[in-house]
Amino acid sequence: MQKPGGQLTMLLVINSALLVAGALISGGSFLSVFNLQSMASQVPEIGLLAIGVMLAMCAGNGGIDLSGIALANLSGVLSAVIVSSFLSTADSGTAFSLAFIAGALVIGLAGGVINGLLISRLNITPILCTLGTQMAFMGLAVVVSGGKAVMVGSPALLSGIGNDMIAEVPISFLIFVLAASVVAALVKFTPFGLWLMLMGTNPKAAVYAGFPKNGVIVATYAMSGVLSGIAGIIVAARNVNVKFDYGSSYLLIAILIAVMAGVKPEGGYGRVVCVVLSAIALQLMSSLLNFSGLSNFVRDFAWGALLLTFLAIGRYDIAGFLSPDRRSQNPSVPVPQAPK
Amino acid sequence: MKSFSKKLLAGTAVATVVLVGSIGTLVAQEKPVIATVVKISGIPWFDRMNTGVVAYQEANPDVVATQSGPATADSAQQLQIVNDLVAKGVNALAVVPMDPAVLEGTFQRAMERGIIVVTHEADNQVNTNADVEAFDNADYGAALNERLAECMGKEGKWTTFVGSLGSRTHLQWVGAGEENAKKYVGMELVDPNNESFDDANGTYEKAKEILRKHPDIKGFQTSAGNDVLGVGRAIDEAGLSGKVCLVGTGLPNPSADLLESGAITAIGFWDPQKAGMAMNAVAKLLLEKKEVTAGMDLGVAGYNKVSVKQGAGKGLLILGNGMVLADKATYKEHLF
Repeated sequence: MQKPGGQLTMLLVINSALLVAGALISGGSFLSVFNLQSMASQVPEIGLLAIGVMLAMCAGNGGIDLSGIALANLSGVLSAVIVSSFLSTADSGTAFSLAFIAGALVIGLAGGVINGLLISRLNITPILCTLGTQMAFMGLAVVVSGGKAVMVGSPALLSGIGNDMIAEVPISFLIFVLAASVVAALVKFTPFGLWLMLMGTNPKAAVYAGFPKNGVIVATYAMSGVLSGIAGIIVAARNVNVKFDYGSSYLLIAILIAVMAGVKPEGGYGRVVCVVLSAIALQLMSSLLNFSGLSNFVRDFAWGALLLTFLAIGRYDIAGFLSPDRRSQNPSVPVPQAPK
Repeated sequence: MKSFSKKLLAGTAVATVVLVGSIGTLVAQEKPVIATVVKISGIPWFDRMNTGVVAYQEANPDVVATQSGPATADSAQQLQIVNDLVAKGVNALAVVPMDPAVLEGTFQRAMERGIIVVTHEADNQVNTNADVEAFDNADYGAALNERLAECMGKEGKWTTFVGSLGSRTHLQWVGAGEENAKKYVGMELVDPNNESFDDANGTYEKAKEILRKHPDIKGFQTSAGNDVLGVGRAIDEAGLSGKVCLVGTGLPNPSADLLESGAITAIGFWDPQKAGMAMNAVAKLLLEKKEVTAGMDLGVAGYNKVSVKQGAGKGLLILGNGMVLADKATYKEHLF
C-alpha cells in the first residue's frame, strides 16, 4: 500500500549529499572502505535504540521509550556479571559468548515487558514510566557492577560480532539491518503492525474496535527492550567492556533520529527504513565533522539545524512538492498545507 | 523542473553549511598527524591543554598537532571521535580517556593499524603504547588530603568528590586521601565519592545538600577541575568560608575569587598545558621509533626527568614530577 514517501526521498538526498560533501572535504578518504566500515560499525548502537523509540512513538498516547540506553547498558552489565560468575572468557569462549548474548536478550526482553506492563496495566504515562524505569535500570546496573566497568573480554564469537566483516560489511551492521528488517516486516505484514498504527492514530477507536490494546502495548515495549538488548551486545562486543553510564547522550539522539525519520510523535506513523536512513545520516554528519576537525559543538548545532529542517519540511509539505503523486501516502493524518 | 530545484535546495542546504564551514581546515597533509582527544571540550582544563597542543605545534612544525573532544561528557561520544580519527588515518592519538575501559577495543584496533596511542590520566589502560602521568597519583591524593587535614585541625567530618565513578585517577586520589586520613583518628569520612560530572552547577547543588545533611562538616576533597568552583560557591554562599576547608584539583584563574574569599583552602593541579605537550612529545618520539627511557627529558617543564615503569599492558607508564599545590598566598605564581 504505502509507496516510498517524501521523507524517504529527502533522507536519501541528504545521505547522498553528506557522502558527496565528505568526499570533497576529505579528498576521497571519507569514502575509503575503511572509513565506510568504521561508520557502519558505529551506527548500530544508536540505530537500534532509535527503532525502539519509533515503535513506542507509533503506539500513540504520548508513547516514548526513554529507558533504551539504560536498558542496553543493564543488559550488557548484568549479563556479563551473571555469566562470568560461572563461565570464564578464557576457558570457554564460545559458551561464554552464547550465554552472554542469551542473557542480554532475556534481560532486554524482561525490561521491555516491565515497561509495557506498567504502561498498559497501571496506565502510567509512557514518558514518566520509562523515565522511572530508566533510572531503575541504571541504578540496578550501578549496583551489580559497583559502578565500575565490567570486563566482557573478547572471546572469538563476541570479538567477531564487534570487529569482523562478512563481504566487507561489519557484522554488527548486518545484525542491525537484520533486526530492522524483522521489525519492519512485523510492522508491515502482521496484524500487530496494523493494530499498532491504528491504535496510535486513535486509541479510543482502537478500544471500541476491540483491539487487544494491552497486548499490543506490551509487545511494542518488549520489542523495544529486545532491541536495547541487541544494542547492549554490540556495545559489549565492540568495546570489550560494559559500563552503566555508557552513551548517556544517546537518549536524546535516539529521539532526534526518530523525529528526523518522520515518525509522528503523536503516534500512528513511522517507517523503519526511514529511521535506519536517518541514523545513517546523523552518523555521516558526525563523522564528517570529526574528519574536518571541527568542534563537536558545531555537531550539536548541525544536528539541531538538520532536525529543524526536517520539521519545516513536514510542516510545509515540501516533500509533497517533490513527489506530488505520492502526497496521499498517509491519509489518516491531514498534512497542513502551506498557504497559497 | 521547479520541484527538482526545490529538491536540490532542501536536500543540500544543511550539507552546504557544513561544507562551507569546514573548507578552511582542508589541507592535504603529508606530515605525521598527532591528534589529541580530550574528555570534553570547552572547559578551562582542556582549553588550557589546547594551548599546550598549539604551543607544541608551533615548536614542532614537522608534525601536525590538533586537539578535539566531545561536546558532552559521555564516553560513547569520545569513542566516536577516536573511531573517526582512526578511520581518517591519523598517525598518532594522544587521548585523555573519559573511561579507559570503553576505549580498549578501539585502541586495540588503532594499534593493529599501526597508529601510536598515547594516553593520559589512565594508568590502567592496557592497549596503549605509553601512558603519561604528571605525577604518582597516590602521592598527589595524599598531598591533597594532608593539606586538608592541616586546615581541618586533623579532626572532623569530611567528604570526597570524584568526576565520575569511572574516572580512575579521581578514585585513586580520594583513595590515597582516605588512606592518609587514617593517620588521624579524629577525621571521619562521610558520604564519600560524590559524582560531580565535572559540572560546577551540579556540584554546587550536591555540595549544598551535603552541607544541609551534615551541618558540622569540616572538609571537602574534590577531584575534577570544576568541583572546587561548585563546592566553593556553596561554601561561600553558606557563609562558611574559612570555617569549612576545601582542597581539590582546580585551575588558578577560575578559582582566584574563591581562593581570595577563603572558600577554597588550596588547589592542587598539574598544568594540563604541559601534560598536553608531554603527550605529544612522547607520541612524536614513538613515531620516530625512539625509546622513552627513565630519567629522560621530554623538553617540557615538569617532565625533565621522567620515571618509566611497565604499564598495565605492554605499554610504558611515564611519570613526570609536575604536581603543584597552591593557596591564597601562592596561586598568583601560576596564573592560567
